Amino acid sequence: MRSDSRYPSQRAGRFLLLALMVLVIDLSLAQATAAEQLTAGAENVEVAAASLLPAPNPQRADYPNIGVSSRNLVWIIAQMHLFFGALVLAVPIFVLVIEIIGFRTSDDRYDDMAHEFMKISLTAYAITALFGGTLALSLFLLYPHLMTYLMRAFGSQVLVYAALFFLESMLLYIYYYGWNALRYGNRKWLHLTLGLLLNAVGTTLLVVANSWTTFMMAPSGVDPATGAVIGNIWEVMKGPLWNPLNLHRFIANVAFGGAVVGAYAAFKFLSAKNPEEKAHYDWMGYSSNFISILAFLPLPFAGYWLMAEIYAYSQQMGILAMGGILAWLFVIQAVLICTILLAGNYYLWTGMGRSEGAERYRWAIKYIATVLILGFLVWVTPHNIIYTAAEITRLGGGNHPVLGPLGIMPAKNIAVFLMLICTFLSFQLYRRADKVITVSWQNWGNALMASIYAVAIANIIFAGVYYGYFTNTVYKVGSSVIQVMSTVFVIVSGVVLDTLMFKGAKTLHVTWGKVSSRSQYALFALPIAFTWLMALMGYVRTSIRTHWHVYTVMPDNSPDNFIPTLQTVGNMVTLATLLFLSFLLFIFWIANLSGTRQLPIAADNNPALAGGKA
Amino acid sequence: MGSRTDVGKSRRVMTWAIAISITLAAFYLLDQTVMSMQGLPLNWDLSPAQ
Repeated sequence: MRSDSRYPSQRAGRFLLLALMVLVIDLSLAQATAAEQLTAGAENVEVAAASLLPAPNPQRADYPNIGVSSRNLVWIIAQMHLFFGALVLAVPIFVLVIEIIGFRTSDDRYDDMAHEFMKISLTAYAITALFGGTLALSLFLLYPHLMTYLMRAFGSQVLVYAALFFLESMLLYIYYYGWNALRYGNRKWLHLTLGLLLNAVGTTLLVVANSWTTFMMAPSGVDPATGAVIGNIWEVMKGPLWNPLNLHRFIANVAFGGAVVGAYAAFKFLSAKNPEEKAHYDWMGYSSNFISILAFLPLPFAGYWLMAEIYAYSQQMGILAMGGILAWLFVIQAVLICTILLAGNYYLWTGMGRSEGAERYRWAIKYIATVLILGFLVWVTPHNIIYTAAEITRLGGGNHPVLGPLGIMPAKNIAVFLMLICTFLSFQLYRRADKVITVSWQNWGNALMASIYAVAIANIIFAGVYYGYFTNTVYKVGSSVIQVMSTVFVIVSGVVLDTLMFKGAKTLHVTWGKVSSRSQYALFALPIAFTWLMALMGYVRTSIRTHWHVYTVMPDNSPDNFIPTLQTVGNMVTLATLLFLSFLLFIFWIANLSGTRQLPIAADNNPALAGGKA
Repeated sequence: MGSRTDVGKSRRVMTWAIAISITLAAFYLLDQTVMSMQGLPLNWDLSPAQ
């Protein structure tokens, strides 16, 4: 492995396009599967009769008691299954993209990197299945009435899920173990097809499992009064929150998967013994960070869509999430997202040292950092806190006169979108750092790009301040779409302009491996923050069902049918995060061990053999 | 020499002025379009029309 500049890895457009294609194919597959089941189900009179049964209404004594909190037990197991499931489903997506890039460029290093990424996914796969099995057993043991109801609603769809799981396992093992046997020529096409099938099946698994979750939050295909299942499987699956959650989880999984393999690369970089290894893992870490942050940038938009649909479905749910006790967890979410953005940006800034051309752009870092820090401070500012009577008197009201306005959504939206734009700017500067643009219209291109940044930032601030504070609520909410589109405008025009301007550009020397160890700790920070974030916000999403197993149709009468204290939530979320990270270290160790080969023991160093000879 | 510098400077100013004008127009249209698509029309000065 040479530490030179032949490690290009900016393939953002292709990655996103392919990811989108896989999602579309999978949604079609899920629809087709559901339609088949609909036909079969409609012909089955017995099933139709059973579907008229009302939702169960178990009493407290009906819930098995095993001596520990059932909810806490299921919470941890479900969370672990979700972490590993996200990793296992996400890694093959970008592995396939990297493999395609390697195939098109005939560069074996891409192929080797993709294969190494798959090694991590493969080790995690068995753990995912183990937690999945444990979760199913726990649910049937501890919540039998709920599971009976869910089985009635989803019927044989769960067997389709099981069949898909078998298919996923077979494809995964063939894809990984057949890598070197199907490496060149027409065989490579076969391998790429296997990769595509693997991702299609994996994403179908994801959307099928998502339908169970969204059914519990916003049930469809049931009688609202009794909970009796009156719709076909497609109507049960396609609730109002299904597609928003599908998109949100798909993007989030890719960001999470990229962060986890980035930590693996950092682990290998720090323990590398020679410059070649360092160069390889530095490149691998950079690619992982690129994938992770690139997927992370559109994630807030998907999150907004999900929350908007939750509000549209039930204002009570929406207000509980963002305006009640759970709103405090959104403040912690802000801290974690800012950690991700700061770590991702810091990694890019330190990585600019790999190229001497980066000196041209270093001046911008301090301004980007300033915006990120200010955005972070605005985002974590709460609207109000619990004051004493004396404090309220001193303040002159329940809200701080200066900081109070920063606690509501318009201010936070401005902060979030400016931070996203700044993160994209860091990416753009990094990509330009090793290039000298030579197109004749470069002055026009640069002026246009700078203008787009300036006007977009002004537009985001204008929309947030004017519509957020000086017009009615409807315009306030609607103006957030202006902010979203302004951010998207910057990202899309940045990618397009750079692609055109890089034509014929002179490439400067990049020394891979020439990066500080500190930057690698930023790569460790990413998966830690992502894991915590997923655990935290996953809890918020599921907790807004309050005392319902299935919202408004099947009540939760178990001893745990209350929203726990924030302290308990913090402890549980942290416990799940620490457990996952411990398992992750185990996976890294196993992946490392599989590449270790013991040297033969020399006779001179082996007393037994030496004695035998004598 | 001096006049050549002046020409270069005025050309740069022109470039930037045109770039900023195009961008301002694009974002103005973006605001109008995005809001009217949501059923929230704006006046020419971007104030709410409803």
